[in-house]
Amino acid sequence: MAGLRRLLLDPFAVPFMARALVVVVLLGILGGVLGVHLLLRRKAFVTEALQHTVFPGVAVAFVAGQSLLVGAEVAAAVSVVLLHVLTRDDRVDTDSALALLVATFFALGVVVVSRSDSFQSSLTALLFGRILAVDARQIAETALLVVAGAGVLVALHKELLLRAFDPAGGAALGYPVRRLDLVLDLVVALAVVAAVRAVGTVLLVAFLVTPAAAARLWCRGVPAMMVGAAALTALCGWLGLAASYQASVHHGLRLAPGALVVVAITAAFLVIAAATRVRAALR
Amino acid sequence: MNGLADSLGSPFFQRALVEAVLVGVVAGAVGVHVLLRRLPFFVVAMSHATFPGVVIASVVGFNLFLGGSAFGLLVVLAVVALGASKVLDDATVIGVVLAGSFALGVLVLSARPSSSRDLSAFLVGSVLTVTRADLLTTAAVGAVLLAALAALHKELILGAFDPEGAAAAGYRTALLDTALLAIVTVALVSAVPAVGTLLAVALLTVPALAARLWVDRVVPAMVLAAAIGAASGIAGLCLSAAFGIAAGGAIALSASGAFVLSAAGARIRR
Amino acid sequence: MTAAALVLRGVTAGYGREPAVEDVTGRVEQGGSLALVGPNGAGKSTLIKAVLGLVPLLQGTVEVLGRPPAQARGQVAYVPQAEALDRSFPITALQVVLMGRYRTVGWLRRPGPADKALAAEALERVGLAGRAASRFGTLSGGQRQRVLMARAVAQQARLLLLDEPFTGVDTTSTDVLLEVLDGLRADGVAVVMATHDLSVAHLACGDACLINRRQVAFGPIQEALTAERLRETYGAGAVVLAGGSTIVTA
Repeated sequence: MAGLRRLLLDPFAVPFMARALVVVVLLGILGGVLGVHLLLRRKAFVTEALQHTVFPGVAVAFVAGQSLLVGAEVAAAVSVVLLHVLTRDDRVDTDSALALLVATFFALGVVVVSRSDSFQSSLTALLFGRILAVDARQIAETALLVVAGAGVLVALHKELLLRAFDPAGGAALGYPVRRLDLVLDLVVALAVVAAVRAVGTVLLVAFLVTPAAAARLWCRGVPAMMVGAAALTALCGWLGLAASYQASVHHGLRLAPGALVVVAITAAFLVIAAATRVRAALR
Repeated sequence: MNGLADSLGSPFFQRALVEAVLVGVVAGAVGVHVLLRRLPFFVVAMSHATFPGVVIASVVGFNLFLGGSAFGLLVVLAVVALGASKVLDDATVIGVVLAGSFALGVLVLSARPSSSRDLSAFLVGSVLTVTRADLLTTAAVGAVLLAALAALHKELILGAFDPEGAAAAGYRTALLDTALLAIVTVALVSAVPAVGTLLAVALLTVPALAARLWVDRVVPAMVLAAAIGAASGIAGLCLSAAFGIAAGGAIALSASGAFVLSAAGARIRR
Repeated sequence: MTAAALVLRGVTAGYGREPAVEDVTGRVEQGGSLALVGPNGAGKSTLIKAVLGLVPLLQGTVEVLGRPPAQARGQVAYVPQAEALDRSFPITALQVVLMGRYRTVGWLRRPGPADKALAAEALERVGLAGRAASRFGTLSGGQRQRVLMARAVAQQARLLLLDEPFTGVDTTSTDVLLEVLDGLRADGVAVVMATHDLSVAHLACGDACLINRRQVAFGPIQEALTAERLRETYGAGAVVLAGGSTIVTA
């Protein structure tokens, strides 16, 4: 038992590890609540595309030395609105437009970053984050964004649910459906900004899509799914970070912590998917 | 423009030019079929899916094409297996699998000492480090892909235009589809040294999109797309040398530039 | 004099250049019931959506309880076709009915015990009190349609708009729906339903509006749904049976 405790608890006695865990838990909360809404609205494709379109803004802010928060927020909001508009227009072949947008924006970001001195490490930091380099100030900023984002979603819970389930009924009741959609998109932008420094643009999708998908399979009722998704992220974050630390300190093996957490979340999803099949077969 | 003048003399740059042209030609031509069969999302998804395969193959010393394609296949199977779910939509299942595979690739790479450099090479290409052996491989693979496209030309067109008619006429449409997906995946992997996995989608869709704005028939579109792809490669490399920016990104942006010019040209012509 | 529940004057509505429905004129008093009858694509849904303010009015005016539709939202309840809703959505029957209370509850607030009691009562009224905690998607087509009716009842609206409420619905549910509609009318609630089931239209409604893009007739159902008018609306799709009654196959 002492051995297990050593494995799972000791790493977090180290300040930067504790901070990393706090960030993962925070991101898990927002990712869980938002992720369930995105799932109910079937927005996985747009979320997937978003990681690429948000990249240049993040890159520009990074290279210009400005606060990543501001640059990322602007880029995120712009690309979210752009995607929103593009996917609504029936005349545009959505797939092609998205591919074009994804390719162009991402290339733009790459070119911008390549002007910085440390191209490769800057690139990987922006794409995959630097979860172990999170400082107290970033935690405060992330906490603020998480509270704001999750707060909006909780406040609008019943309206968002109605819109997802019965948009015509919602519109008939007088709810501004398009504006509700925009609010959801903007919370996505908020989540991107909250997550980008810690886990990067590529891995943040995993925090939004996978935990909610796992919770959807296992839990009944929307609030339970949100709690389940957040709990899953927290648990896998804990295990993933601990494993990464142990591998590095005791076995000399460098395993990217952010990536390991995502792999853990995905593994948890696969286990839950299998368990759900078994549960259904046994009924 | 000193950078450019100097570069033109260097053997690295010359090889890079050849590689970029080869990749541009093949990706451009294949790209027309990507559009015909509405596969841009597949390409975006595959670029994430082949990533861990390419990474693992490179770490283990295995053939990149086989590694990338094998992992791509694995991902497709995983998606199909999970996709039977009644509550999760396809895009979500694909998103879960892709995010997981991508993280796996990053994980494997991070274990190596030169990880940042390798990682960015796989993600955005490192065309300036191609060797003569790489060039020969690219040329050979490209030739095989183009030959396959030529051989299956009329069947592919029929399958794209009228899949039910093709099936009715006795063609094994599932086989045809698989063949095309395989061709696209191999083209994607062959573009990795030049522009990396994340930007390969650019060469596989944008030149074809631009070409479709000028011509309406498949073969001329393939020729034009190939030309635009090659031109993007050359332009990108020159821009890269002149302004000190990443070659892969510059090549992709050149392709986008070609599209924007074509779109503007189409407007003017009306 | 109490305002009519619904007044339509020369209503032309639709998207783009081609209106989906043209020049509809008529009124429905409080406690009245109107059947919107016509073939597929005739514009019945469009007309309903125009009353709801979901489709632009190209010409004419709509008045709900003496006011423009936008001001009367809380007073109008929309009952969609149950098939249009996702069966895998994680929501219970009671939660669906509660949605009818949302506007009264307001933004940012949760439905309270009074709202939940109203919702439970509405479910009771459609005979599904025992299925309140069941997931909506696990109910049969008829039961789901009843839940959507209960939602409208819980909203305590003065005008109900129903889009093909009896399509694909079993006889028990049909009976329940008809009974509830009768009860609502006795309370002074007006009902407008789009339907292509003529027998139900006769059973449930006092007035009918026949449309096929343009209005063919609007008035008491016996006068509006004559064989002649039906043939005019449905063309070859109307068949007159021995005994004089007409069925439509469009």
